[in-house]
Amino acid sequence: MEHKGKAWKYGDDVDTDVIIPARYLNTSDPAELAKHCMEDIDRGYASKVSPGDFIVAGKNFGCGSSREHAPIAIKASGASAVIARSFARIFYRNAFNMGLPIFEAPDAVDGIGAGDVLALDMERGTLRNETTKKQYKVAPVPPFMRELVTAGGLLNYMASRRKGK
Amino acid sequence: MATIFRKIWDRHVVAERDDGTCLLYVDRHLIHEVTSPQAFEALRLAGRKVRRPLSLLAVPDHNVPTSPDRLEHIEDPDSRKQIETLRENARSAGITLFDIDDVRQGIVHIIGPENGLILPGITAVCGDSHTATLGAFGAIAFGIGTSEVEHVLATQAIWQKRPREMRIEVAGDLGFGVTAKDVILAVIAKIGAAGGTGYAIEFAGDGIRRMSMEGRMTVCNMTIEAGARFGLVAPDGTTLSYLEGRPAAPGGAQWESATADWRTLRSDASSRFDREETIDASRVDPQVTWGTSPEDALPVTGVVPDPSDHPDPAVRARRERALRYMDLAPGTRLTDIPVDKVFIGSCTNARIEDLRLAAGVARGRKVADGVTALVVPGSGLVKRQAEREGIDRIFTEAGFQWRLPGCSMCLGMNPDRLKPGERCASTSNRNFEGRQGPGGRTHLMSPMMAAAAAVTGRITDVREVLKG
Repeated sequence: MEHKGKAWKYGDDVDTDVIIPARYLNTSDPAELAKHCMEDIDRGYASKVSPGDFIVAGKNFGCGSSREHAPIAIKASGASAVIARSFARIFYRNAFNMGLPIFEAPDAVDGIGAGDVLALDMERGTLRNETTKKQYKVAPVPPFMRELVTAGGLLNYMASRRKGK
Repeated sequence: MATIFRKIWDRHVVAERDDGTCLLYVDRHLIHEVTSPQAFEALRLAGRKVRRPLSLLAVPDHNVPTSPDRLEHIEDPDSRKQIETLRENARSAGITLFDIDDVRQGIVHIIGPENGLILPGITAVCGDSHTATLGAFGAIAFGIGTSEVEHVLATQAIWQKRPREMRIEVAGDLGFGVTAKDVILAVIAKIGAAGGTGYAIEFAGDGIRRMSMEGRMTVCNMTIEAGARFGLVAPDGTTLSYLEGRPAAPGGAQWESATADWRTLRSDASSRFDREETIDASRVDPQVTWGTSPEDALPVTGVVPDPSDHPDPAVRARRERALRYMDLAPGTRLTDIPVDKVFIGSCTNARIEDLRLAAGVARGRKVADGVTALVVPGSGLVKRQAEREGIDRIFTEAGFQWRLPGCSMCLGMNPDRLKPGERCASTSNRNFEGRQGPGGRTHLMSPMMAAAAAVTGRITDVREVLKG
């Protein structure tokens, strides 16, 4: 299945405190968290992001806190995936546990500008920049992580295993 | 020939998948009010129980106010609800809770060790990235997300990929005015905020061996700031002296057999690491961050760097943004930067040794005009000990506020936070944009350095203050 949307481009070391500031952590309501997603570095993101858009960023995306509110906020904001040069490890794990697809793709990140229209085929691992007409390979998701995303996150995965599916 | 990390890991493997992902048994699980409520709620919806309540300890720390009236009233309704929810979840599941009126309440990463709950060779998790702190005891301790909190509550186990291993040798002795905080800031500056991504880091060498447990906890606490989920130090005599007699530590014959085992927990001499780094502690000066990443640390004698000096355009862009946010110009001497607030506290630096060191600087001096300075002990027990030693009076006579335990101004989700544009000398662990409050500007440093900033009103080389 192909996902299509605009790129929201950010730099290196986007940390969990800007993805969702601590002052909003006293709720875990996805819709409420989505309203404040990225607001400390990009006031426009939460109000202007369209369903299916992509967050595209530099290295070490999601560094900092273990708050699962971060991938929840991104997923609830409507973004279909995050594409970055690299991810911090706790965020990486939390994203899959929440069913938020994320891709490490250094070459693609360099070739994407803010607002470019992207088409991502998650199964094939291909990313097309329709604005520049360039095509990129994205790192395939590791098998265990793919199972998590397919199941809709860790807890659904556990539930399906318990049912012996 | 195995590393200490591998030895502990292998003891805890319940199952292993073909791709090397392991199901690890969890010995100790700590929970706080912010990342646990959804886990309990989901558990209830799934009709499951907490598998091993005795392995858990619950404490409210992130959003508790640190003002004296907190027992009567917590202003923010959402925070109040999270604290009440934690209380109710702990009660119904039979989990020990150190509530806000309990002298043992404090920051989750501080109260585990001081009550003897964190022992060499164990696995420990918490829904908080600074869980790495606990690795100072020679344990595998790491932060997890809330889904994983639920998974551990239900199963007492967690899926983890075996990380690569790095050894960082801290060689030589720390100089005058230099502490564990300066060492770890220098390490992060050297390897970068993503330098440890995918690694477990073992800290070793004379510099670590001569550090107290408090210092080792400070070092391990900030390994996550270098991107590594795990930091650890092999146990030794210092570890054992710290643990002996703590409430939950083994006693009598159990102590003898436990310590005999703990002595085997070190990396064999011929162990291979995926990466090795060395830092000469004798050449580390007191450190200060100038930017918005913990890797932006420099010796206090330095100047704000010029982003255009860096060859990598992505780094240049990040640094330019950081300087705009911090309202700093390249070439500014760090010691010319004035501060509005000073925060001495957090899971990084709110243990008794930290307060003693800061009090040594504050003693007989006064907080500079226009500066607000907070000292927030990491736990009720730290607070009580400090009060027995007269440390509270040293601070209050110097004009510092002496608060109740909690995460406080580390993360801007309780009443202690910076106002937009305020600049803070902080002993916490993250200088991210908005971390201490929207628009707030954070300079990370040691407790001694923060106390020096409080009494001079600007970033100051604590060695000059102590000499002068």
